[in-house]
Amino acid sequence: MTETQTQPQENPLLEGLGMRRTPESCALVIFGASGDLTRRKIFPALYALAYRRLLPERFAVVGTARSEWSDHEFRDRMEHAVREFGRDDFKQEVWDWLADATQYHPMDFADESKADELVSVLNRVDEERGTRGNRVYYLAVPPPAMPTIAKRLGKRRSTKGWTRIIVEKPFGHDLASARQLTKLLSRYFAEEEVFRIDHYLGKETVQNMLALRFANGIFEPIWNRQFVDHIQITVAETIGIESRAEFYEKAGAIRDIFQNHMLQLVALTAMEPPIDFTADSVRNEKVKVLKAMYTPGPKHVVRGQYGPGFVEGKEAPGYRDEEGVGPSSTTETYVAAKLFVDNWRWADTPIYVRTGKRLARRETTIAIQFKRAPHPPFEDSAIKELQPNSLLVHVQPDEGVSLAIGAKVPGQGMGIRTVHMDFMYGGAFRMELPDAYERLILDAMLGDQTLFTRSDEVEEQWAIVDAIVAAWARDRPAFPNYAAGTWGPVSADELIQRDGREWLTH
Amino acid sequence: LTATHVHAEQWSGEDVGVGDVVMALCRLREASAHETEGPDMRTSVMTHLAWVPPEWEEAAVETLAGLGERHPSRGILLFPQPEADDGIDANISVLAFPLREQRRHIAAEVIELRLRGRTCEAPASIVNPLLVPAIPVFLRWRGRPGFGEQHAEQLVEVCDRLIVDSREWPDVPQAYAQLPFDRAACSDIAWRRTEPWRRSLARLWPGIAELEKLRVQGPIAEASLLAGWLRSRLDREVVLEHDEAEELTAVDVDGDACPVPKERPTSSDLLSGELDEFSRDRVYEAAARAAATF
Repeated sequence: MTETQTQPQENPLLEGLGMRRTPESCALVIFGASGDLTRRKIFPALYALAYRRLLPERFAVVGTARSEWSDHEFRDRMEHAVREFGRDDFKQEVWDWLADATQYHPMDFADESKADELVSVLNRVDEERGTRGNRVYYLAVPPPAMPTIAKRLGKRRSTKGWTRIIVEKPFGHDLASARQLTKLLSRYFAEEEVFRIDHYLGKETVQNMLALRFANGIFEPIWNRQFVDHIQITVAETIGIESRAEFYEKAGAIRDIFQNHMLQLVALTAMEPPIDFTADSVRNEKVKVLKAMYTPGPKHVVRGQYGPGFVEGKEAPGYRDEEGVGPSSTTETYVAAKLFVDNWRWADTPIYVRTGKRLARRETTIAIQFKRAPHPPFEDSAIKELQPNSLLVHVQPDEGVSLAIGAKVPGQGMGIRTVHMDFMYGGAFRMELPDAYERLILDAMLGDQTLFTRSDEVEEQWAIVDAIVAAWARDRPAFPNYAAGTWGPVSADELIQRDGREWLTH
Repeated sequence: LTATHVHAEQWSGEDVGVGDVVMALCRLREASAHETEGPDMRTSVMTHLAWVPPEWEEAAVETLAGLGERHPSRGILLFPQPEADDGIDANISVLAFPLREQRRHIAAEVIELRLRGRTCEAPASIVNPLLVPAIPVFLRWRGRPGFGEQHAEQLVEVCDRLIVDSREWPDVPQAYAQLPFDRAACSDIAWRRTEPWRRSLARLWPGIAELEKLRVQGPIAEASLLAGWLRSRLDREVVLEHDEAEELTAVDVDGDACPVPKERPTSSDLLSGELDEFSRDRVYEAAARAAATF
């Protein structure tokens, strides 16, 4: 008896076996295979999936880039990458299986004949490895290279099997370019075939936001303007721009983080309960939040750029001193904003967001700050250290959730102090959290778009960003305005202090 | 104790009461605070209760050692000694496991109670005050539970999920008929051992749909459960031919060999897998019921 392909809808033996997340046979084609993303994220993720036997038996990886590497050299580099960046112990048999499925073809897609060559390669892969014409194209390339690749792939779609195309962020540079890219992709690919990656959505703790809100009866009734004073979302990095000056100079913090990760976190925090957990239900609710957001006026947005300073005890150069950055660069490395979602649930409830590089600490946190107890029946001295309740969702590091509550200090008097009740992923679930890319690559192979952004979401995000950037164009900022290793410019503190509030330090 | 914990606080006493155990637990947790920024966190997701007759003691302690870090909950091991004088002896450990990127630790509590004499007859009265409130209780029963006997009935009432290993039972497959599916979610480590084989068999669909004869080389528990599973899932009579062996080594489907799975889970992995399940396993229930009729 030969092994046959699983048919989840009909096979009665699959129930309870958790096998439905094994994708159909397919070939994963990585464009930009010689790049950092492939080395640091994509291959370690593929190894982790192979380690857990989540990849299909009939599977192939075809790497392509301009670097003139041989198959052997590519596999060798990827083995080193897996050893360096993989989260699992290195098992030779797992790697051998993945390496056997992997090949590399140097190609410059600017040359149209190379696209035909790739088609021949993939047809041969189908015959040799039984991948049945099913293709996942992963565009791990800079934005300018995307249209050419997408166009050439689109013209040469496989007539057998299915096609999916994964597009890395940033999706466009502004609303116009995003629309242009969407238009180009839609000429060759259906929306159901386009997987726009925002890797934050693949993080366990981001998905836990949905579990926290919609699997617990206690939070949703108070998750609104009646009980919530305000929300703070922080995406703080301690690193600088590493070797990404060329990209970052054009993008800045607003396109690198705010347009995608930050607005996705806002949407997940503020969205209404979806009717189910299908891709369109979740994305419909997220897009409603984005549509309901006011475009923040100039007084509600702060930008900054780091100067020299000390980060975690080490001297750090200013942004303008980074390699590849001009001495008078006005690119922002920090953005803070006060946002409003103008709907029934959140009217008049500010959402303060901030993101930046070279900040005091690496953390991504969503803080829901509740309103104060209306009339604590204690003396003022008893509650002087008492803060309002806040629910902190730690996206990274220290993944988990904390609830700040007031508790009596033991003793004769009635002193009350704020303490934290902690749920930590590492404490309750003693397992390594999967990397976001594992989840997202697997979902793309399975055709599940729930954790990918839809074109209308991306466009709403760009509309907000374009309005902010347009306002910035009117004046020249006085940069640098914060020292590396601090929490950003003074004007960001003033932004929230004007409302009688403070940024939370967790 | 396990190799991965960073420190352990211990207390033991003879002829103790349950109140002494509760107090000792509190003191041990406070004592653990001196090395870290505060008391070690107790992130309980369950109370893990185990009934361990003397012949299973060594195996139980070994499995628990492999589990400590993965399920750092409150573990209560009951060692019945019905022939001894009445009384309870206790040995308590609070183990601290490191948290990634943090100075804090999480605490796992292990309470070993030797139930002597008549205390074996009322285990629920001893266990109830020690359960962590509002989270599930998993009862791991080593050996063959005496369903219908007082102590077994009491503990089944206390638990949310009963975990057995029917490979440890002398009277399978008939004994499957006694599993208390109506009172607690039941799971079986023998069933978990068949999982890699079930995956392999599932991949033979649809060719396996008309299966008539299954030949299994392995323990009778796993063989019966595999045949019961196929009988219940395919909704057809399946003849089982069984060759006894210490482990599941071969499965033939109407004369054709099923691909041998590569996975080889350890005993801790198997129990850990069961501790990750919280709801009723209706596929197992149907398989066990079908197996009982072989």
